[in-house]
Amino acid sequence: MGLGPREKLALKYVLAGVFWLGVAGIEGILMRARLMGYIADFYTPEEYYAVMTVHPFVGIYGWAYMAVMGAFYYLVPVVLKKDLYSERVANISFWVMFLGVLITWLSGFLFKFSALYTLYWPLPVLEYPPQSTLVFSVGTIMIFASILAFFFNMFATIFLPSRGAGGAGYVAKELLTLAFNLDKLKAKTKGIKEYLPRVYSYPVFVVGVFRGCVDTTLNAFVMAGVSLLLGIYSITSLIGSQIPATLIDPLIYKNVFWWGLDLIADGNVLIFTAAVWYFLVPLLVGRELFGESVVRSVILADLVLSLFVWNHHMLADTPQPFVLQIQGQLFTWGELITMGLTMFAVLMTIWYARPVKYSPALLAIVLSILGYAMGGSAGILQANYAMNRFFHNTQWVIGIHGHIQLLAGLSLTIFAAIYAAAPLITGKELDRKLAYWSIILFFVGAVIMGLAMGVAGVNGMLRRTLYFNGEYFEYMAVAMVGALMMAAGYLTFLYNFIKTYGFKTILSIFK
Amino acid sequence: MYLQQLVEIFYIGLITVYTIFIVSFIYITSRSRPEIKTDGGKKVHMGMERSEKIWLGVLFTVAVIGNIIFLSPLMPSMQYQVYLDEDPVKTVVITMENHTFILPENPIELPLGKPVEFKVYSNDLTYGFGVFRKDGTMVFQMQVVPGYENRIVWVFDEPGVYTIRSTEYSGPEHPYMVLYDVIVVGGE
Repeated sequence: MGLGPREKLALKYVLAGVFWLGVAGIEGILMRARLMGYIADFYTPEEYYAVMTVHPFVGIYGWAYMAVMGAFYYLVPVVLKKDLYSERVANISFWVMFLGVLITWLSGFLFKFSALYTLYWPLPVLEYPPQSTLVFSVGTIMIFASILAFFFNMFATIFLPSRGAGGAGYVAKELLTLAFNLDKLKAKTKGIKEYLPRVYSYPVFVVGVFRGCVDTTLNAFVMAGVSLLLGIYSITSLIGSQIPATLIDPLIYKNVFWWGLDLIADGNVLIFTAAVWYFLVPLLVGRELFGESVVRSVILADLVLSLFVWNHHMLADTPQPFVLQIQGQLFTWGELITMGLTMFAVLMTIWYARPVKYSPALLAIVLSILGYAMGGSAGILQANYAMNRFFHNTQWVIGIHGHIQLLAGLSLTIFAAIYAAAPLITGKELDRKLAYWSIILFFVGAVIMGLAMGVAGVNGMLRRTLYFNGEYFEYMAVAMVGALMMAAGYLTFLYNFIKTYGFKTILSIFK
Repeated sequence: MYLQQLVEIFYIGLITVYTIFIVSFIYITSRSRPEIKTDGGKKVHMGMERSEKIWLGVLFTVAVIGNIIFLSPLMPSMQYQVYLDEDPVKTVVITMENHTFILPENPIELPLGKPVEFKVYSNDLTYGFGVFRKDGTMVFQMQVVPGYENRIVWVFDEPGVYTIRSTEYSGPEHPYMVLYDVIVVGGE
């Protein structure tokens, strides 16, 4: 199997992502076992919370981001029939990202940094030794630096080669015009039938990637800013000139933090996913995407919405102006409409292509739509002032909404991309039977785990609280069954991958 | 039955419908006969399809109805926050510091069926303030942001004893921030 540099680059990212998914899975199982009352002798609350802190970084940045980066580094140039703007930057960025996730993980494993991903001010600078906060800060700055390098590469790949057609600014303007259906408006105002740009029409997949990159770039800047702030506080503390924590207002900090952090949910979790669906489904069923012009409008609408939904994270903060909380609620419901239209377009594309053969990739996509519907509905139900009174910070939020959306939704979409792209990259298809088993075990396991956590949340179980008297043992036992099913699905995938491509080929990717 | 349990039943019903739909969708689309493709499968529709318009209408209607319900006085917390015209009969001031609750009295005695006001302050970190029933289910909670007055008005509709617990993580000491049976709500 001869692999070119682009193929190796993509596989390297994807395999690193798969590695971090395994680490996140082990962390999850350890935390679940602790919540069931096991391993308490050697797994202290300090260690439990240190693992809980790094778990989302490993899961989101290690797994989801690295896998998505690998997929897009391969697919965007293929779709645009161009070279990647800089393979060198992509290769350096790989190691920066991998080491960044590793250092962040070590801040928990070695230094017991446990301010959680929420980093609510002033917890990280008041409760932890500056060394541990500094290690965390360095790790996360590396992660965001790598992400920004990825976006630079994506934007440059999309824009720059068309300089001859009028410069990058012109291409950017045309892309925005086409991306958001403004060409229809231009045609109407000019009184012509159709507006034809001088560059070329960007496929909706590229529009989705571009759109997701806007949100996730903003996210990376905000989160890198928070990491930098923690770094500055740690360094000044180490040199003996402590900056007072009261310099930062906790409520303003929380608003900025959630504004930036929520953009990852829109950019990475929703829009990158939608972009992959828009690309893969027509390819897999052999038909044009249904309602493409509506899809482009949806992408614009979601960009606007995504900038104003952060208040649904602040519904339990009573000093927050009430009008902002209601605004957060209303805009969040807007995502029901945009995501609903996205799913509709994908399902209608399949419907008009029937009868279709459900390859592992197509099955994974349809199940991921179900995962998003389940997780998204739970999110909509909780994202209002009334329900937030008893759902906020419970297992409902992180179980039914968070984990089902991330595992049954986003992760299955990534697996779909792997199953579809692997034969294109390597010329060899993964074993179908094993692939079906892997997908079904992973999906069903994710749903069982998420539902068990959510039902525990309805019964009062908090998401960030360690219980010592087996209060929610039954729910956690069921969740553990789901987690083990996911682990079985994951191991089946690994076995399939190694069986198909062999250790030697996999190792050669990293040379 | 508490409101969150009603939501749970509604949600389970909803995802059952989703699951049945997707399983049926997979079955039908993998077995049904191909339609005559008048456009050869390549037609790009420039405007909105009729089916899209209908679906958009459904989504919009669900969003409007959902918001009307969640913003209405049917929701107890909305009623106490927006629609209540009665002043609180008692104010309970609680301070949180160094991972402990400082209570004005123990137990805190509250009337049944009357609005009471909780004002909670933090002197150091961000905490949470949650009130739980004997069976562990949550009555309400809010965040406790340092440097701000964190205020909520509630009407207890069941007599009994209640537990308070910090609902927000504030370091590894967080899970110990619980005081059992410190609120007593009297009978009629």
